[in-house]
Amino acid sequence: MPAELSLRAPGVPASLDDVHALLSRAWDRHPDVGDDDRMRFEIAVVEIAGNVVEHAGDPHPVDFELAVRVEDDRLEARFQDPGRRVDVDFSTADMPDALAETGRGVALALATADELTYRRVGAVNHWLVLRRRRP
Amino acid sequence: MIELDTHPTGAAVVRVDGRLTMVDAPAFRSAVAEAVGEAATTVVVDLSACAFMDSSGLGAVIAGLKAARQAGGDLRIAAPSTQVLTVLQLTNLERVLRPFGSVAEALRAG
Repeated sequence: MPAELSLRAPGVPASLDDVHALLSRAWDRHPDVGDDDRMRFEIAVVEIAGNVVEHAGDPHPVDFELAVRVEDDRLEARFQDPGRRVDVDFSTADMPDALAETGRGVALALATADELTYRRVGAVNHWLVLRRRRP
Repeated sequence: MIELDTHPTGAAVVRVDGRLTMVDAPAFRSAVAEAVGEAATTVVVDLSACAFMDSSGLGAVIAGLKAARQAGGDLRIAAPSTQVLTVLQLTNLERVLRPFGSVAEALRAG
């Protein structure tokens, strides 16, 4: 059975530290995951966590859930939150100008994940971040 | 954690200890604003103990760069980790935020 680690946390910036801690536990359990896969998956997961926190925290923070699975061939993170709907267009999520201070999150996640999906099901946002493990 | 060290020579070092994400970005912005407000012409961001930076942290560094330039100075980053270098590469910011090997090197660069 593949191992799954999960957390439930309030939609506030400080919860990003819990996301890092969860990933750290995943790597402790799976020392076979390569450094580059860990780093790039963590970049993608933390960017989506930041997006979730922004949306789940407005106007009042609501809890979000994160489940991380380490499989032989891939790393998966699934987020769920009952925050407001996210307007995201992956086809136009390019890197902004060099001196822009915002707007790089989704582009950075797309650059480090192999699959990134967002779905709104009922009143719940679902994000999937998937990275295929390199040999 | 963010630490500010202002030098009498007109330089300031902002040290990031841990991660620079949405959590610490406001403290980082305040530290750079304080350094620029104290007339530091060169702000060096010491990343030697920064294990992870996200797009919010990067946005705060860009804001600091703009604030330093507006005040007639400059902001330089020193000793970034592989993770930070990867984020700079993926966001095409390696030339705008050219990394220096160490704080001393960044301070010496004039």
